[in-house]
Amino acid sequence: MILSLNQLPEEILHSILCHSHPRSATALQQTSCRFGDVTKRPLLWRHYCRTYYKFWDRRHDIHRKFILPASSVDWKALFILRYQIDGSVTQLLDSILASQAGRIEKFRAVIEFGYDAKDTLLRNSQVQDGEDHLARRYYARALLTCLHRSIAVPEWDKLRRGETVSLDRALGAFDLFIPESGYGDFDELEHAMAQVVHQFTTSHPDFDDQSPRAKALELASWLRANDLTGIESGREYHSLEHNFLGMALNSPGHNSLPLISAVIYCHVAQALGIDAHPCGFPFHVHVIVTPQTGFDMDGNKVTGTEPGSPMYLDPFRGARETPVSDLRQQLIFLGASETEQSEFLGESLPSEVVLRCSKNIVNSIHSATRQFDFHATPVDIVSAKYAASWSSMLLSADSRPMDLRHQLSLLMELFATDFPSDIFLVEQYVVPLFNGLLEHEHILESLHVMRAVDEIPKQIHRRTGENRAVRYKVGQVFQHRRYHYRAIITGWDSECGAGEQWMRRMGIDRLQAGRHQSFYHVLVEDRSVRYVAEENISLILPDIEDLPSSLTSIAGKHFKRWDRVAQAFISNVRDEYPDD
Amino acid sequence: MATPQITLTSSDGVDVTVERTVAERSVLIKNMLEDLGDSGEAIPIPNVSYLHAIQKLLSTRPSSARSSSGASTTRTTPPTAGDEDDNRRKTSDIEEWDQKFMQVDQEMLFEIILVSNSDACLVATATAPAAKVKAKAKINPTQPFTNHFSSSSLQAANYLDIKALLDVGCKTVANMIKGKSPEEIRKTFNIQNDFTPEEEDQIRRENEWAEE
Repeated sequence: MILSLNQLPEEILHSILCHSHPRSATALQQTSCRFGDVTKRPLLWRHYCRTYYKFWDRRHDIHRKFILPASSVDWKALFILRYQIDGSVTQLLDSILASQAGRIEKFRAVIEFGYDAKDTLLRNSQVQDGEDHLARRYYARALLTCLHRSIAVPEWDKLRRGETVSLDRALGAFDLFIPESGYGDFDELEHAMAQVVHQFTTSHPDFDDQSPRAKALELASWLRANDLTGIESGREYHSLEHNFLGMALNSPGHNSLPLISAVIYCHVAQALGIDAHPCGFPFHVHVIVTPQTGFDMDGNKVTGTEPGSPMYLDPFRGARETPVSDLRQQLIFLGASETEQSEFLGESLPSEVVLRCSKNIVNSIHSATRQFDFHATPVDIVSAKYAASWSSMLLSADSRPMDLRHQLSLLMELFATDFPSDIFLVEQYVVPLFNGLLEHEHILESLHVMRAVDEIPKQIHRRTGENRAVRYKVGQVFQHRRYHYRAIITGWDSECGAGEQWMRRMGIDRLQAGRHQSFYHVLVEDRSVRYVAEENISLILPDIEDLPSSLTSIAGKHFKRWDRVAQAFISNVRDEYPDD
Repeated sequence: MATPQITLTSSDGVDVTVERTVAERSVLIKNMLEDLGDSGEAIPIPNVSYLHAIQKLLSTRPSSARSSSGASTTRTTPPTAGDEDDNRRKTSDIEEWDQKFMQVDQEMLFEIILVSNSDACLVATATAPAAKVKAKAKINPTQPFTNHFSSSSLQAANYLDIKALLDVGCKTVANMIKGKSPEEIRKTFNIQNDFTPEEEDQIRRENEWAEE
């Protein structure tokens, strides 16, 4: 007899199978009784579940299952389920890439798988080559962030309905809108926070022996000394990334605005038993620390019914107590009334902190677009704007209807151009806000139009007849003759197809060739979409490396990949422009 | 141009130098070169008999499978079942010589896996007379594998990273299974199908989900 696979003991067969793809295990299972047995073990399928799928929808309660004895869970069935979801999501994504029509329903189908879809989307969002890798990355990423937003938005909605939401979730929701933050759910954020708490407690074994005041100051000083609060000198205060809790925790410098610094401080303090909350002081968020009932901040018993007076801190600057008299003086200088003063010096509600953060983000975007190179920010500006828009939409509700109307048009515009996969979120969370208002019908109407347009196949533009005169092709890159921006052609008309009003406003008839020349739909490097006359187009033949990443990352919306020979993008809108 | 050479060394101190491209036709050696790093050091082979077997097989390679320099093969597909392309090569396509080579390779592979898996076993064999192994001229696979090992193999085991060796072995077998149909696996590993037709049919249906 020859030494063969059959003679290897079970534990070795198990480790061979652990190195194999599950498909190999199913093939081996069909060879003989012995291998049939060996390949059925729950331990093996648990291993496959663990290695092949990192993200699991909540309904599986997977972390609890991993702790249970392997035999008490049908791991093979669970693996098969995930394998099939993986297949379905891949198929849906392929089909989204294949045609521009009917995408909304496919988006919905993917998002309905919840977190079970994440592994597949993540894999597709990282493809480096392949026939359609730009499109694949773009749509996988769009769906992935949609998945994350569908976790974030309900938290703000809970706040709106007056439910309790912790500060870190309320602010972490902003991170879920930003792909660059790297966060996909609140567990990941809580984990990052817990690590900070852990670091502090291990380095301060005798912390509990101190007075409340000393504790509060000690924590502020430690956070500042470890750069977990505040901003390194020499950095632009208003940088967009300073507004995100998760990004501040994760980035090496941990730079954050006072508001985020205060939230980090409050989270750690609360974990250590200190009653700390952000305080709504104007311009600069402080922290208010309240002593335990019956005691003052120095740990002395207080007599009478009056609670001990709180202390104020500015964790952004470090371990310095801010005397309440200073704060009062500033408020008086600003002309605040007695009631306003006590309001400004009291605790801020999480919803107020969210709104404040939302305003800070808008300010940062303004200063970013004013001062910096647009391409240099590590945070996608459109996503940040969208996060700010959603949060203020949901949380400034009821107070000022006029504000809401302005917010609505902003949100709807962003949603329609950049995040159409969020239609379900808009239906579920925005539409009800306008119940009984005029806008209600308008939103429903525009959502209806969006769906209808999505369902019908695109009108086909062939290069015959009058279209023969159209000079440039979908996928070509050009520089605008007057405005000098770079853009990609995504579509064309043989003559100006915009409305009369638009043409008048843009002065189309003052162009040399007027309105009767070819016009092009283009995607601009600042992510905007424009409509350009042929005479303003000056084709360029760049290398892909010369194009800004802001352009190449959204090129996937319309294009499959870059053609190095033709130095143009390869169209993924052939269902609309079959000859390009 | 000189072709890169590698040295294979057995635990009992016999070295054999072969051309790297030739030695790489062994799945096991190829994986070891990749996984243990190409440091230029000798590749450890636990047993001198296998070393000789490899040497013999390499020297009897059919001339049609060599290029004029003897350095590289003329085949475009190396006879490794573990290649990335996952091609479902039929066992019958493999040339007779390759089959013979694979057979010895497989046996050596299983032996390496077993040895590296079992430290206790190595301790036990440490007391076995070394002469017994040296005396063996031919592989006798029917004997328990422990008999192949001498005290020197314990020394060998000490300087080898046993875990890494076991991993390489398991990965190699995993690669040999990869992309094959049940029938192809049976052929490759000489597995007897002992299912009843009903059982076979049921088990096939249970695994339909994995078919692409």
